[in-house]
Amino acid sequence: MSDVVLELEDAAFRHSVSSRSLSKPFGRKQGSGIFSINLKLRKGQILGLVGPNGAGKTTLMRILAGIYPIQKGKIMYNNSKSSQPSSISEMELRSVVGHMPEQVRWQGKTTVKRTLIDIAEMRGVSYRVDGILAMVGLSEMKDSLLDQLSQGMRQRLTLATALLGSPEILLLDEPFNGLDPVAIRAFEKLLDELAMKGVSIIISSHRVAGMVHIVDRLALLHKGQLLIEGTLQDIESEFQLDNRIEVHGPGEMPDFNTLISDSKSILESRNSEHGWTVVVRNKDVNLLEKLVSSNIEISTWKAKDTDIVEMICSATGLELEEIGFNVVSSTMMPYKNRGEEE
Amino acid sequence: MSDYDKIRSVAVVHLLNRLLSIRMAIMLPILILFIPGMAWGFSDPKVMLPGGITPSSATEVMFYTSLGIVFGATMCAVLLSFDGVSKDRASGVLEIKLSQPMKRSHQSTALVVGHWLAILIPTWILWALSFIIVNYRMGDWPSIVDLLTSFLSVALILLWYVLFSLIASTHAREQGTSIAFGVGVWFLFTFLWALVTTMVAFASGVSIGEENDPKWIDLEGLLDLFSPNGVFHHLLETRLTDIERGVSPIVTWVVAMVWSIIPWYWFNSRMKTIQP
Repeated sequence: MSDVVLELEDAAFRHSVSSRSLSKPFGRKQGSGIFSINLKLRKGQILGLVGPNGAGKTTLMRILAGIYPIQKGKIMYNNSKSSQPSSISEMELRSVVGHMPEQVRWQGKTTVKRTLIDIAEMRGVSYRVDGILAMVGLSEMKDSLLDQLSQGMRQRLTLATALLGSPEILLLDEPFNGLDPVAIRAFEKLLDELAMKGVSIIISSHRVAGMVHIVDRLALLHKGQLLIEGTLQDIESEFQLDNRIEVHGPGEMPDFNTLISDSKSILESRNSEHGWTVVVRNKDVNLLEKLVSSNIEISTWKAKDTDIVEMICSATGLELEEIGFNVVSSTMMPYKNRGEEE
Repeated sequence: MSDYDKIRSVAVVHLLNRLLSIRMAIMLPILILFIPGMAWGFSDPKVMLPGGITPSSATEVMFYTSLGIVFGATMCAVLLSFDGVSKDRASGVLEIKLSQPMKRSHQSTALVVGHWLAILIPTWILWALSFIIVNYRMGDWPSIVDLLTSFLSVALILLWYVLFSLIASTHAREQGTSIAFGVGVWFLFTFLWALVTTMVAFASGVSIGEENDPKWIDLEGLLDLFSPNGVFHHLLETRLTDIERGVSPIVTWVVAMVWSIIPWYWFNSRMKTIQP
């Protein structure tokens, strides 16, 4: 197992929000944030941080970027010279972390290269700008004005700012927004190369499917709490979301109860104008053979992707309607698998 | 790269961005009209100001020319720096800047210095040109101390307005609020302060506008210490022997330091806690 580079120990941060009343016109109270997060990031690892809107992903990223100071807990950092992680200040954190925020709207009459140099001077690394522009595919655009950039180009420029100074840890907040499929592929390749060189990467996203093939581990965040962290297989296995097959076919839905002995294995079934869809737990290895021998026409047979909603429902034991995906700062989620209230 | 080098580099970035901006190109004719233009007018040997006053020395002419600083340069300082922080905050660039290994106090220092120099450099050039114009028209040069006092006073008043605008910019989440605050402060001290002075005089039982009444002169002099424009004029008046408004030069310079330190400290504190 590779070395732990960064570790969060019971890290907590809550935003201060306005709470005005007649008696306290300037009153403030604690709002949303993150609660008691324990997380380890290892050298060369790509960690996917997933969660719905308002889960606390961006807050956690900003804490790791040294922008928000944690109010409780510790951030530990392990540089290559020491064997044990030690506490790190926000300023030190900023020097080892490259941060790519979500949707930066670069604008103005400044050129791409000038902008990157301006940011680089804050890091003290202005001499490396050309190489980074080439790395993110902006060499040809280096003399373009910021106002002329498309959203995808702006994303690349934001990534370039995160790569300045060869950071050991890279934080990418919704990095694929606005990128075309070709750019996404190139981006993923770049991330792979960086991870191979030992850069540890955290990617935040509200979509699991878009990044399962590039991340080594996933951390599921909801309402400021870390529900679970592990490989996708571990998480699917813990939540019993693994070994699921989604079968589509034309016409009327066949009677699956006659084909599958355990009716509980049928997780979902529905009809539509295009045919039928059934999701089954694939305990019966001969199911496909049974379907074919029963002359049931099938058009699709595939492993079912896991999405965030399923993970959260499984983690909390609540239905979608009960969870309510409105962002409520103070509501703590139960964690079914631990059998306790968080 | 040392901390000082970082501050200097970032300040130069802000300076060049503002100095070469379109809004500077728009404001430059206004500055030219207000500063050297006024110097040309007030140095006319035949000029007669309200109250039958005729400026008799270069220092006196430049004192009247300082109206161009109060009406023109301070407004330009506000318009140049009102979005110094809010623009980056709205676009998301501030988050990138705050995540760089540069202390926030250093970032705020670079912001202030960069924006201040962006308005100070053209204003000082025009102010120096005005002295040359006055010498050309009147054949008189002010003393070195008069020159230093006037250049320093101009620098300070511009610093104060830059600081007010930048403070507003840290509080505003969008440009409208920021510019409204900056222009509002400018309007208060440039136009409405006379009204505040009048109201305080009325409440104190002092005859309003009686230029020969020592009570009115003292009250106006005192209240001017609470306005940046007033302190600016007090600073210039320290070099005019025939003006006495009940405030000693030492008090004036101490108040000028207070006007510089408190807003700077306020801005610095805001930058330390600002969130993207």
